[in-house]
Amino acid sequence: MATVKLKVDGREVEVEKGTNLVDAGKMAGIFMPHFCYHPGLPVVGVCRICLCEIEGRPKLVAGCATPAEEGMNVITKSKAVRDARAAVMEFLLIHHPLDCPMCDKGGECTLQDYTIAMGAAHTRFSFKKNTWPEEDVGGKLILNKNRCILCMRCVNLCADVAGQDEIAVIARGEETYIGTVGGRKIENELAGNIADICPVGALTSVDFRFESRPWELHNVKTICTLCSKGCNTVAGFHPRRNKVLRVTARENMDVNQWWICDRGRGQFHSVHDVVRIATPLYRSRTKGAAARPVAWADAIAQVAGAIKDSIARQGADSVGVVSSAELSNEELFLAGRIFGPDGLGLSNFDFPERPQPPVVYPKFTIEGDKNPNTRGARLLGGTAGKRGRSVKEILTAAAEGRIGVLLFLRGGAPETFGDAALVARALDRAGLVVVMDFVASAVADLADWVLPGVSHFEKDGTYVNSQGRVQRARKVFTLRGDTREDWRLLQDLGSALGVLHETDPSAEMIFARIARTVPAFTGLSYSALGDRGAPLDTEAANVAVG
Amino acid sequence: MTTATFEPVLTKIVDLPDSHTLSVYKKHDGYEALKIALGKTPDEIIDIVKRSGLRGRGGAGFPAGTKWGFVPKSTDKPKYLCVNADESEPGAFKDRLICRKDPHQLLEGTLIAAYAIGASRAYIYIRGEFAEECEILDRAIEEARHAGLIGKNIMGSKFSCEVTMYLGAGAYICGEETGLIQSIEGKRGWPRLKPPFPALVGLFNCPTVVNNVETLACVPHIVKRGWEWFAAIGPERNTGPKLFGLSGHVARPGVYEAPMGTPLRVLIDEFGGGVPGGRPVKAVIPGGASCPVLRGDEIDVPMDFDSLTRAGSLFGTGTPVVMDDTVCMVRAAWITARFFAHESCGQCTPCREGTGWLQRILWKIETGEGTERDLGILLSITDNIEGNTICALGDAAAWPARGFAKKFQDEFLRHIREKRCPLDGGSLH
Repeated sequence: MATVKLKVDGREVEVEKGTNLVDAGKMAGIFMPHFCYHPGLPVVGVCRICLCEIEGRPKLVAGCATPAEEGMNVITKSKAVRDARAAVMEFLLIHHPLDCPMCDKGGECTLQDYTIAMGAAHTRFSFKKNTWPEEDVGGKLILNKNRCILCMRCVNLCADVAGQDEIAVIARGEETYIGTVGGRKIENELAGNIADICPVGALTSVDFRFESRPWELHNVKTICTLCSKGCNTVAGFHPRRNKVLRVTARENMDVNQWWICDRGRGQFHSVHDVVRIATPLYRSRTKGAAARPVAWADAIAQVAGAIKDSIARQGADSVGVVSSAELSNEELFLAGRIFGPDGLGLSNFDFPERPQPPVVYPKFTIEGDKNPNTRGARLLGGTAGKRGRSVKEILTAAAEGRIGVLLFLRGGAPETFGDAALVARALDRAGLVVVMDFVASAVADLADWVLPGVSHFEKDGTYVNSQGRVQRARKVFTLRGDTREDWRLLQDLGSALGVLHETDPSAEMIFARIARTVPAFTGLSYSALGDRGAPLDTEAANVAVG
Repeated sequence: MTTATFEPVLTKIVDLPDSHTLSVYKKHDGYEALKIALGKTPDEIIDIVKRSGLRGRGGAGFPAGTKWGFVPKSTDKPKYLCVNADESEPGAFKDRLICRKDPHQLLEGTLIAAYAIGASRAYIYIRGEFAEECEILDRAIEEARHAGLIGKNIMGSKFSCEVTMYLGAGAYICGEETGLIQSIEGKRGWPRLKPPFPALVGLFNCPTVVNNVETLACVPHIVKRGWEWFAAIGPERNTGPKLFGLSGHVARPGVYEAPMGTPLRVLIDEFGGGVPGGRPVKAVIPGGASCPVLRGDEIDVPMDFDSLTRAGSLFGTGTPVVMDDTVCMVRAAWITARFFAHESCGQCTPCREGTGWLQRILWKIETGEGTERDLGILLSITDNIEGNTICALGDAAAWPARGFAKKFQDEFLRHIREKRCPLDGGSLH
């Protein structure tokens, strides 16, 4: 790849040809302020805050719109540059409201940061500021034009990444504003990214509105588990309220670039704003009794006892396990050890696939495989695979009364598992139904036993995305209640069943065990995965899946 | 060549009846230059225009032949010629005369330029307010097409070229060459980042030349009479005949053709008939609203690009606006600032915010509310806009505001000290 050498404030740096001066400066360790420039969007060069000097050129240039050239001497510390940037700051602030204390962006606002770094303490503007009313632009975002600095990131994100002309720049001069056209709304599923990249509080998230000051949040680097893409995210957790209050995109050029979809952005609602199962429950279906809490030790012992009893009396085919590719690698590995050939040796062991049509935007695709860990499930024995029976066959066997214990590793609506009528019959005719899940669902509500696991926000774990990339989801918080991380629960069950002879005290150590024993994971560890994950050993992975 | 012996060429037929028709144009050697040009190679034409010294008449004064020379010779892409008939500079109305009275002169120049750069399509981008001129040009194009002067195999040659009219919507910024290109593409008239320059990446991302109407009107005469003839008119590096649009406080406002370098005082006194009522010249904006104002004692300046730059102003479009002693300079500055604030495209921060601020401060001073501090802020805003934007509109707004405030500082200070306009608003409203 062709490179050029240049100097930024005296620091020599070698960059790929075509790199702009803002990025070249970054590589040289010189920060160039920028509002409109975003590496994932077309360069517009309008905010002018990145103006810098190039030795030998009469005028200042916009760093974002100027490609680095061999031998260029870029100067950002001169008086001319300082003055020009201070001037741009002053211009941007003349109509900007002083509402930082009640602005959702306050604390993570580029304009606020730059004002502190290089703005004036007092305004010279002695006139009435232009004002605009606040506006809902499609249910997801609130538009406050008073705060807008017209960087056009929002317009370019919609146009370029989502391919939608839902918002536009309207009018001209100081009357210029960002707005929707002809009563349109911002409805594309990438709209939430606008709130992430808006450098001011002009377009803020309705969902996060007035929920918290950004600095109150404990930000945890994790991933989204709503599809097989595995977008990198940041979960913003509010310690006092013990809740995740927002999820934002985290850059990973190998996976999601800078973006996430709005489903992933709202995933935390399916953890907080649902009926959670807080303790193991037993309900005798045959007696039609109400569910009652049971102590963990009793619940594990009784479920394990029922499984062992069923195998002893009717053979291994009398136990069916509907696994789940929503679980982490660690959990699927344990499930494989417990129910696979080295454990109970079940043939009735498979997970439901959850395909949907993918949503394809010009520069972002929401994957169609709604399981976040299909590849992990196949590689780690979270299914009996070709040697075993499919979910449909397992449910059919149950519906025909041939299953003594039917264990679901995740609940859900009946349609999640296939034909609703078949699922209903299977639940009705199975001897004993056990569901492992953290949230109430149609299937969990019909179970004899419910063993409460936790959501991916509440445990450590890794997932293999559709590209074969292993990525970490980090534990963000613990909810009050008598729940158990699913990998602990599975270890408890495996021990009670007498098939798991060694247990680990952390997900990280289970992963280390996976790396030692499963060839596709060779060489990987939590520290090797880091924040951005790492690819599987693809050759080994292909051999394993066949 | 002196003014006395100067023979007008650009306006030679404009006063004749039906001067806009092909028959009248042809009667006066019309399209002879095109015939000559088609007998030469495109490179020869570019060379002739380069040697003539013809500088763009749209305001910036960039050498036309050099601009044509930037268009790449070997490219698979189509090339375009855009004719800038978006004449919107306050004070300028010279291109309008050509469009209205001698459209074939423009078409002939357009065809020669298209031939020189290898364009088979030319767009004439005409200002929205010039609806009537647009119709006249449309009819002229039809006439020329019927006569085999536009279309396939022009005059039996291998050169084919279509000419299409494009009526703008009246935004000043669409006269900026890349704003014009955006507008033809159907986009917002927002100037583009340069580089790349239009000669490489222009209309529809293809090599493009944008030329002013008067620039192209000069071309047939250069081809017909030779570059030596053109180069002999006017001072060195500022050659050729020029249309001067004279307006404001002169007895006979209008468009006058004279050699480049004709002194401003001669234009006002001899062509314009002086200031009505024998009042003194207080100020002159020499080349359209964006040019810094000259005081009445500074008008012994030759009207050409380099002389006016030396005088601290700009030649611009060469269209002086004359103001007598009834004009309030603060109000004149405010009117100018209001125009640029209204016409700023809103793209770059300094221009979008700065032009509106300038306008407010000028109005504050004009209405007697201003302070000396405001005057200082005004000057610093002009410094903060100048040179910091994508296109020259920011500069165009900064220069006149600074020019008025510096050249007529006493009058600004009187407004501030007397807390009123000493001329009661003057004769401008």
